[in-house]
Amino acid sequence: MPDFQPVSESVLYVLRIVIPLLSIVVLVRAFHSIKAGRRREEPVIVLQNTVTKETVPVLYWENSIGRSRSCDIVLSDMTASRDHAVLMRRESGWYVTDTGSKAGTRVNGRMTRQPASVKPGDIMTLGSTSLMLQRTSEAKLPQQKRRVLHAASPFGLLLTVSVIQFLLLLESCFGGGEFSFLPVVPFLALQVMEWGLYLFSMKKLNRVSFELETIAFLLAGTGVMLLSGMRGKLAEGQEAPGMWAVADSTMSTVYMQLFTMLLGIVLFVFLIWFMGDLDRVTKFRPWVAGGALLLFAVNLVFATALHGASNWISIGPVTVQPSEFVKVAYVFAGAATLDRLQTRRNLTGFLLLTGACLLSLFLMKDFGTACIFFVTFLFISFMRSGSIRTIVLAVAAAVFGAFLILQFRPYVLSRFQGWRHVWEYVNESQGYQQTRVLSYGASGGLFGMGIGNGMLGGGRSGTSVFAANSDLVFGMLWEELGLVMAVVVVSALALLVFCARSDATRSRSTFYSIAACAAAGLLLFQACLNVFGVVDVLPLTGVTLPFVSAGGSSMVSVWGMLAFLKAGDERTYAARRQKKRR
Amino acid sequence: MKTTGTRSLILILLTVAFAAGMLLFLADYARDGGSWAIQAFNKHITLGQNLSGRVLDRNDTVVAYSDETGRVYHDDRSVRLGLLHVVGDTRGYIATSVQNLYRAELSGYNLVTGLVSPFGETNGSDVKLTLDANACKTAYEALGGKKGAVIVYNYTTGEILCEVSAPGFDPGAPPDDLDTDETGKYEGVYLNNVLSSTYTPGSTFKVVTAAAAIEAIPDLDSRTFTCTGSTVINGNQINCTGVHGQMDFKTALANSCNVAFGELAVELGEEKMTALAEQLGFNKSFSFDGVTTAKSSYRAAGASEDELAWSGIGQYTDLANPMHMAILMSAVANGGTPVMPRFVDSVTTSFGLVTQAGTPAQGEKMLSATTAARLKTYLRYNVTNAYGDGMFPSGMQVCAKTGTAEVGEGKEPTGWIIGFCSNTETPYAFAAAVEEGSSGIGSAGAVASAVLSALAS
Repeated sequence: MPDFQPVSESVLYVLRIVIPLLSIVVLVRAFHSIKAGRRREEPVIVLQNTVTKETVPVLYWENSIGRSRSCDIVLSDMTASRDHAVLMRRESGWYVTDTGSKAGTRVNGRMTRQPASVKPGDIMTLGSTSLMLQRTSEAKLPQQKRRVLHAASPFGLLLTVSVIQFLLLLESCFGGGEFSFLPVVPFLALQVMEWGLYLFSMKKLNRVSFELETIAFLLAGTGVMLLSGMRGKLAEGQEAPGMWAVADSTMSTVYMQLFTMLLGIVLFVFLIWFMGDLDRVTKFRPWVAGGALLLFAVNLVFATALHGASNWISIGPVTVQPSEFVKVAYVFAGAATLDRLQTRRNLTGFLLLTGACLLSLFLMKDFGTACIFFVTFLFISFMRSGSIRTIVLAVAAAVFGAFLILQFRPYVLSRFQGWRHVWEYVNESQGYQQTRVLSYGASGGLFGMGIGNGMLGGGRSGTSVFAANSDLVFGMLWEELGLVMAVVVVSALALLVFCARSDATRSRSTFYSIAACAAAGLLLFQACLNVFGVVDVLPLTGVTLPFVSAGGSSMVSVWGMLAFLKAGDERTYAARRQKKRR
Repeated sequence: MKTTGTRSLILILLTVAFAAGMLLFLADYARDGGSWAIQAFNKHITLGQNLSGRVLDRNDTVVAYSDETGRVYHDDRSVRLGLLHVVGDTRGYIATSVQNLYRAELSGYNLVTGLVSPFGETNGSDVKLTLDANACKTAYEALGGKKGAVIVYNYTTGEILCEVSAPGFDPGAPPDDLDTDETGKYEGVYLNNVLSSTYTPGSTFKVVTAAAAIEAIPDLDSRTFTCTGSTVINGNQINCTGVHGQMDFKTALANSCNVAFGELAVELGEEKMTALAEQLGFNKSFSFDGVTTAKSSYRAAGASEDELAWSGIGQYTDLANPMHMAILMSAVANGGTPVMPRFVDSVTTSFGLVTQAGTPAQGEKMLSATTAARLKTYLRYNVTNAYGDGMFPSGMQVCAKTGTAEVGEGKEPTGWIIGFCSNTETPYAFAAAVEEGSSGIGSAGAVASAVLSALAS
C-alpha cells in the first residue's frame, strides 16, 4: 500500500482553510439576505386628520398613539393621554385598542375599550383628534425610490452548507490516523434533516426565507462532525469497529445529538405555528409560565446531582436538564404585545417568575444558567419598560445576591480564584480545563490539527479532558478545526443578535420582537459564558455552546430559541412564496 | 414599536462586550499563544512528535533530537549532564534552558499553523549553541560530584563555550524518583547555578576592593602594607591566612592579604566601596538571550567598621553570581567595557532559513581603561608569582584571582576562581565556584585549568 499519509494530511489541511472561508461566505450572504429580504419601511396605511387634512403614515404592525413624543403616532392634542391607544394590524385587519386613556377612544363615534376593528374610511376619535384610516394608494405620498437588493438564493446557501459538511465529513473520516466510514451515517442524517426542513418550509409552507435555519445547520453540522471525530473511543472489553463499520455503539453520543436535533427541529416548527396566533399566545402565556415553574419544582424534587449541580432529572435511561426547556418558556412568558405593554406597565408578574426561576437555579447550584436567566431578564425587562431604574435596581439586587452566594457557598469563590490566573493552577481544578483548552487550542493554530487528532478530545485512543465535547467544545473546535473556524462559529451567534435587532420594528408585534431579541441575547450571552469561560476571559461556568456542544436538552432548547428569532422576522408569517405561473 | 426598536439597542451592549472579550482573547493569543502551546503537559509535544528541532553544539555535534521514541540526548552521559542546564530537560522544567526558552522554535510553533506541520515531516527549527560539548563534559567531570558552577566565555565575541551547573540529573534517563523524592537528594537540580545562584565571593571580591583603591588612592603603588597575621578593627579581630610582613599593593593582592584589604576597605569607606561595587555590576542583574542572572550583592550601608573590613575581603553579606564575575573579568580584559555573553549561535528552520543569529553585544562600561589595565597587570602578577603559570595551558597568559569563601553553618568553604587569558589568541573569561571545595585554587582552580586545557586541544 502506498504511503498516502503525508499527501492526505496536506490535502486535509487545505480543506481546513477552505471550510472557514466557505462558512464566512455563507454567514455574510445569509445576513445580507436577511437585510435585503426585509420589507422597506413604507406605510401600508395612513391616517388623515379630518380637520387639518394632514396625513400621518402608519409604519408598523403595532403603533402606539398618544401625546408622548415617543409614540409612533404623535397627537398634538392636550385632551389625549400620553399613551392613548394602540393601532394594531392582525391577519384579519386593523384594530384599535384603548390603553387606559382618560378621554377614551371612539371608532365612528362609538366608544370602545376592547380591540375594535377599523376599516379604511372609518374614523377614530382620540381625545379631540379624529383620524380617518386610508389605504396608502388613496393618499398622495411622495414615492420613495425603490432600492433593489438581491437576496441570496436559500437553495444556494443551504447547498453551500452541505458542501461544508461534506468537507467536514472528509476531515472526520480521515481523522485520528485511521480511515473510517462511521461519520457517513451522521452526515446523511444531517442532510435528511436539513433538506427535509427546507422542502417543508419552502414548498409546503411557501416561506420565502431559510437563512436562520441555514446558520443553525451550519453550526449544528460542525458540532456533529466534530463529535464524530471522537468515534471509536473504546470502553474496556469493547471491540473496535472494523474499517467498514457504518454504525457503532461508540458513536452513541453522535446519534443522541442527531436525535435531539430532530426533536429540536420539531419544537422549532411547532413553536412557529403556535406563535402564529397572538390570541392563542396571550391565552397560553400564564400556562407556559406555570409549566416552567412546575418543571423547576419537579427538578428540585427529583434532582440528580451531576458534577456539582443538581440540575438533572433521570427518566429511565434518559437524563434531562429541565432548565434548558424553562429557558424557552421564560422567553415566551416574558414577551408581550404592545397593547399589553401599555396597559400593564408594571413587571410584577414577570419579576415573580424571574425570582422563582433564579431561586430554583440557586438551589440547584447551577449558577451559570442563573446568570443566563438574569441577563435575559435584563433584556426583556428593559425592552418592556425602557426603565433604566429597573435595570439598576436589578443589577444592585444581583450584586447583593452574588455577595450572599459567596457568603453561603464559599466554593463558588474558588472558581474566581483561578480567573485570569489559570496558569497558577495548571493541575488544580481552578485552572486545569482552561489551561488545557489554551494549550491544545494554540497547538492547533489558525487551521487546526484536523478532526479526531485533538488531545482535548483524546484522539481515538487517549482519554479526553472532562467535558471536552460540551463545556470545552470551543477548545475542541479550535484545536481540531482551527481558531478561524472557532471564531466564525461563535460570531455566527453574534450575527443572530444583529438579525433580531434589525427585525425589531418590523415584527408583527412587540411580542415577536421582544422574544427574538431576548432569544438572540440569551444565545450570545450563553456563547460568551462558554467561550470566554474556557479561554479565561471570564470565570468558567460550565454552560454549553449553543448548537455545537454535545447535550440533548440544550440542543432541543436552542432550536426553540431559533423559533423566536424566526417568528420575529415578519416574512415568516406574512410573506408567501409566489407560485410560479404555468 | 419605535420605542421597542430603540430599546433593542441594549443588545448592542452585549455585542460590544462580546467583541471586546473576543479581542482580548485574540490579543492574549497573539502575545502568549507560543507559551500556551509549549506547556509541559501538552501531549502534542511530550509524545515527541512536536518538539522536533535539534540542539547542536558549536561543532555541530547533535546533543538533542527527536525520533519516534521521543526526545533523545547525546550518547555520552557526562555530555548529557554537562549540558543539562543549557540544553534542558524534555519537560522544560529547567527554566533558563534552551529547550524551555526556545520551545516555540524547537517545536516549530507559529501563530498560523500552531504545532501542525501541514506540508512536511517537521516544522521544528534547529538551535545551534555557542557551547563546546567536550569542554562542558570536562567541566562536569572535573567538578567530581561537587556542587558548583563553571562558566567560560569568549570575551571578544561573547560566545559561551562552557556553562556547567551541578547538581543535575541525566535527561536521557531521568531517575524514577525525581518527582517523588522527599529526602532532598535532587534539591537544586533544576537550577542553573551559573545564572541563578549567588555564592559568598571570598577573596575574589578583592578585585573589586582593588579597583576602588586604584581609583581613589593616587599613590597606591608606592604604599607599603604591613601584615602581622591579624589586625583589630573596632574591637573585632580580622585574621589573615599568614604573616605577610611588609609588602607593596600588588604583592598584597597576590598574597590575598586580609589585613591589607580589610584596612583598605575601611579607609575607602562605605560610600566609595558601594559606588564602585555597583559600577562593577553588584546589586543588579544582567540579561542576555532571554535569561537574567541572579543579582550579586554588596550591602555595606550601615555596617560597622569591622563589618566594612570584612565586606572588603568578600565576606560579611557579600554575594557573587558566577556569570557576573565572568562578565567582570571580560570588562577587565576588554579595557573596562565587557562583551556580553550569549549561548545561542543561530536558529535555523527546517528549510534552512536562519531566523536568529547571535551577534556580539557590549555591556555597560564598568571601569576606566587605566584602572582595567592596572587590574590586568596585578591579576597577571597573581598567576605568575602566586599560583604559577604551570597550572594553565602554556601560552594563555592567564590573569586570575582565587578565593576561599567561608560560608559558616559547619560547611566547608566555597572555592572560587575568576580570571581571563590575556593572550588574545585564546580570549577566554572564566569563573568557577565549587561548593565545599576547600581551597579556591585546589578546587575551582583545578576545574578552570581542566576546561582551559580541553579548549586548548
